Amino acid sequence: MSDTALAPALQVSQRRPRPGMLRRLARDRLALTAGLVLLAIVLAALLAPWIAPHDPYLTTRRRMLPPVWEARGTWTYLLGTDSLGRCMLSRLLYGTRATLMVGITATAIGGAIGMLIGFISAFYRRLDGVLMRINDVLLSIPAILLGLALAAVIGSGLQAIIAALVVATVPTVARVTRGAALVVMAQDFMEAGRSIGLPDHTLIWRYLALNCISSVFVYLTLRFAQSILLGAILSFLGLGAQPPAAELGMMASSGRNELFIAPHIATIPSLAIVVIVLCANILGDALRDLLDPRLRKL
Amino acid sequence: MLKHLAQRMLMSVPVLLGVLLLGFLLLQLVPGDVARVIAGPTATQDVVDQIRGDLGLDRPLVVQFLLYLGRVLQGDLGYSMINNTAVSSELAQALWPTAELVIACLIWAIPAGIALGAVAAMNRGRWIDRAVIAFSVIGVSTPVFFFALILMIWLGYHWQLFPFLGRSGPIWTLEGLASLVLPALTLGLSFIGPVARMTRTSALEVMNADHVRTARAKGLKERTVVLRHVLRNALIPVVTLIGLQAGFLLGGAVVTETIFSWPGVGRMAVGAILSRDLPLAQGAILVLALCFIVINLAVDLMYAALDPRVKAA
Repeated sequence: MSDTALAPALQVSQRRPRPGMLRRLARDRLALTAGLVLLAIVLAALLAPWIAPHDPYLTTRRRMLPPVWEARGTWTYLLGTDSLGRCMLSRLLYGTRATLMVGITATAIGGAIGMLIGFISAFYRRLDGVLMRINDVLLSIPAILLGLALAAVIGSGLQAIIAALVVATVPTVARVTRGAALVVMAQDFMEAGRSIGLPDHTLIWRYLALNCISSVFVYLTLRFAQSILLGAILSFLGLGAQPPAAELGMMASSGRNELFIAPHIATIPSLAIVVIVLCANILGDALRDLLDPRLRKL
Repeated sequence: MLKHLAQRMLMSVPVLLGVLLLGFLLLQLVPGDVARVIAGPTATQDVVDQIRGDLGLDRPLVVQFLLYLGRVLQGDLGYSMINNTAVSSELAQALWPTAELVIACLIWAIPAGIALGAVAAMNRGRWIDRAVIAFSVIGVSTPVFFFALILMIWLGYHWQLFPFLGRSGPIWTLEGLASLVLPALTLGLSFIGPVARMTRTSALEVMNADHVRTARAKGLKERTVVLRHVLRNALIPVVTLIGLQAGFLLGGAVVTETIFSWPGVGRMAVGAILSRDLPLAQGAILVLALCFIVINLAVDLMYAALDPRVKAA
């Protein structure tokens, strides 16, 4: 088959810079650290049920204990306890789990739909106009408003937040994918593939998608950071996870009542969000610089 | 210029219609009978039927949407389900505090961000440049509420410099101004990072441009070169960025208002959603979307003022 003869050649030429890219990424110490920290956080969140020192929902009489490095802190509760005497460290682990889950789900679903729209838009030029106009309208509705509106309709909860984040992710990913796909569409091998009579789905998935997937994935890393941030904000407003569930934004919000007596209840989950988003942003920026060396000079 | 403005306004019509449709569907998608929800659980069937007739809920959806459009155009946004006051008058009261907050934030954060970005670009590669980059990356990675909590703990509680709950009066009184400080600082901190970063990037780009070399070559003072030849050109992408960030800014305002009990549209929207006061929520979301559109129009006009090429187009 002529297409199987062509395709490996194409893939080889595309994949060659990849190992070099990973090595260069490893040389960027900041990005490497960010990646490792993120990996550690994901692992800790995955292993939460096994490594959490206490039950995150178990209330005790030892309320508002400060973290261990403060005067009244104890080694039993490393990060102290919250207003109901629940272990902060355990809640932090479970909360990170919920927050990461929201971010990853929203980015994955929104990214997949957005990519599909982007590919179709670039491949079938007749649909491009309509799709991109709809895209523009979606793009111009602020994500927080979407979140507010969806929470009003389907009620507060993680589903509402994920739905809002998906709707916010789709148009941005669609636009980035379309941009990358249009560049690929102009290449000779697309014309060659078409001239040997390959069906559309082969052209789209084997030729088009494989060739722009890396730049879209880099964008998704940055988008993931955005989704975590936005999800945390919506949760903070009370539109997401409901008590007693643990979720970082919601935990920060519930710490507001004891902000001046026990500030750690609000600040520790907030700091966790900052670390996750910061690492994802640094990693995304580094990957983008590697893909587009023009930006690096600046 | 006028043509450009008219074009831009036409382009916001689909967005506005989309938002109106979203707001309209908001009430449609609610599980259960809307008329029953509005009337309350103890109302008799007659009352429910009357409300249904009054709101046109027994007509086809398209007709209902057109009726809704007609009402919105006349400024009738319905009645709050909790206070039974007109939504439009509630929103009118909340609009000014929100405007105060957003304007106060922009007034300090934009110049500060531009200054930071310009200083970083001029000292490229030195520690001050790295500090600005680090500051802006951390800034865009921090949720608005964290800034708010930290400012509340330190400036508000420990050092007692500024009040941190509610709005103590109109902005021209001393108390009113003092109560605006922390919310405006909070919102600005979340905005300064992107502005600094964009200014730095675009200033670096412009600094290598031919016209800047020419300006230096003809012996202009460094200050004149930076202010007139570099910054003015570097500001164009920054202005665009402000438009792109308008949604983010409004979202930040919603959070800031909620935390500081600032009586604006954002806090009203969140409160209405949490208490399931749907007409009020619908109205508040609509007003926030309108603000978004207005900010973007304003940005476009500024854009045209900064870049004569846009005017000609």
